Amino acid sequence: MAENNHFIERSLMAVLVLFKESIFSEDCASRKGFLQARDPRVKALMIFVLLLAALFSRSIPFIAGIYGFCLVLALVSSIDILFFWERTLFFIPFFSLFIAAPALFNIFTPGEPLASFHLFGMAVSITKQGAASAGIFFLRVLTSVSLCVLLALTTRHSVLLKVLRVFKVPQIFVMIMGMCYRYIYLFMEIIQDTYTAIKSRCGNISSSARGRKIVAGNIANLWRRSYDMHNQVYSAMISRGYSGEPKVMDEFRAGLKDWLCLGVTLSVFILSLWQNQYLN
Amino acid sequence: MAKSIFELNEVYFSYLNKIPALNGVNLSIEEGSRSAVIGANGTGKSTLLAMLDALVFPRRGSFRAFDKEMSENILNNDEFCRFFRGRVGFVFQNPDTQLFCPTVKEDIIFGPLQLGVAHNEVVRRLEGVAATLKIGHLLDRSPHQLSIGEKKKVAIGSVLAIEPEVLLLDEPTAGLDPQTTRDIIDILIAQNKAGRTIITATHDLHIVDEISDVVYVFGFEKKIVKTAPSSEVLADQNFLQEHNLIHIHRHQHKNLVHLHSH
Repeated sequence: MAENNHFIERSLMAVLVLFKESIFSEDCASRKGFLQARDPRVKALMIFVLLLAALFSRSIPFIAGIYGFCLVLALVSSIDILFFWERTLFFIPFFSLFIAAPALFNIFTPGEPLASFHLFGMAVSITKQGAASAGIFFLRVLTSVSLCVLLALTTRHSVLLKVLRVFKVPQIFVMIMGMCYRYIYLFMEIIQDTYTAIKSRCGNISSSARGRKIVAGNIANLWRRSYDMHNQVYSAMISRGYSGEPKVMDEFRAGLKDWLCLGVTLSVFILSLWQNQYLN
Repeated sequence: MAKSIFELNEVYFSYLNKIPALNGVNLSIEEGSRSAVIGANGTGKSTLLAMLDALVFPRRGSFRAFDKEMSENILNNDEFCRFFRGRVGFVFQNPDTQLFCPTVKEDIIFGPLQLGVAHNEVVRRLEGVAATLKIGHLLDRSPHQLSIGEKKKVAIGSVLAIEPEVLLLDEPTAGLDPQTTRDIIDILIAQNKAGRTIITATHDLHIVDEISDVVYVFGFEKKIVKTAPSSEVLADQNFLQEHNLIHIHRHQHKNLVHLHSH
């Protein structure tokens, strides 16, 4: 019984801590570093162009080169490389390895065998072509995830949202995203406080059924609170002149270094297209 | 004689047509005046401020602002809406509802931008507000990273950036430490000296004398039961006790136990 209780508590607190650390921590974005100093619009474009280069390229050394470039960017942006790997190497790339694994074998990708063995009485071999396909898939996922994490780590989330406007995302959508970001934190704190209040009154929750009942009640309560708050927030917006069309001020300034960086990444992209042509 | 900004005559209001909130309120606020609205919890203070900010409208009775009869229809007129929103600023009780942007800076410039203020003027106002409230170091922070006192100051700043003629404040000092309370009182006094009309709803009786000349006391029947100079209201201990605004406090000095009002 106690295990159930700990399970609920641990899950709830772990999710809250994960959210706070991964979404709201702006430690890396506040540091002085190469990417932090770049104009956010140019930085987002750079990452986008590098992503395209990784997606278009069919050469393992070339994609590995982009990944290497990504690691260099992380290092010059004052990001601890172990922390960066912790954020990027697990989950998505790890699962992509599982997805790509069947492509290694001659059953799915026929070709020149690299290694052969018997599995359940069947002769199976890993093919050169299969290894190349799986390797490219895994590297593409790893590079893409790393580039996106690099952008998220080196840019304040509020600025990242503003950058969406450069990509012609409607302002109302950007504003709603910004408000979500703002209020998720507030509601997370309410959840945490509510759970602490329950614990202080009830002690350990004795059964999982009771735990589920309490959690369900809290979900309903939180929904009601968020509903009340949305009315008040809307009133606060109206009170300051909001009339349905949000107006914003652009403050981004790009310098020579920013354009140079964009030039370099565009060259990488053109190179990826060229080497595809060359390989064909 | 000073010009009247707000006139309420026998105003009734209820939420969802069921829960009465204002029950026959009469009120007149003059330009440049300092007023306080006091009363027990749930007596209608916040609803009154919401009405003065044209966020709710009377079910019965008349509410006039700037010589116009107020209704939802009149605020559908863009020109009048901009005129009104640019003249009346409302600091909400809960700063978390007022600070809805990702950063403090965006919250402060939100109002002027929506009201069509030119960008260079918006920047001037941002710098002015940051200097007046000493919140320059907070501009790039997210509101969730602020203390309650900082949030209150930023909420006031987000309204001051509009440069309104009238400031409505709902419990501006509730739950704040003494120094932050002092800072906010000083801000309000300075704003009034600059010519702004200040209307404050509060439970903190110790600030009433400093921030108001006239006090409106709401009774349990959800209407104004007394309008008088602040010194007169604060001197009437029995009246204040009757309306849950003070209580009898019992404490001990060495061996002597004594009672007094708080």
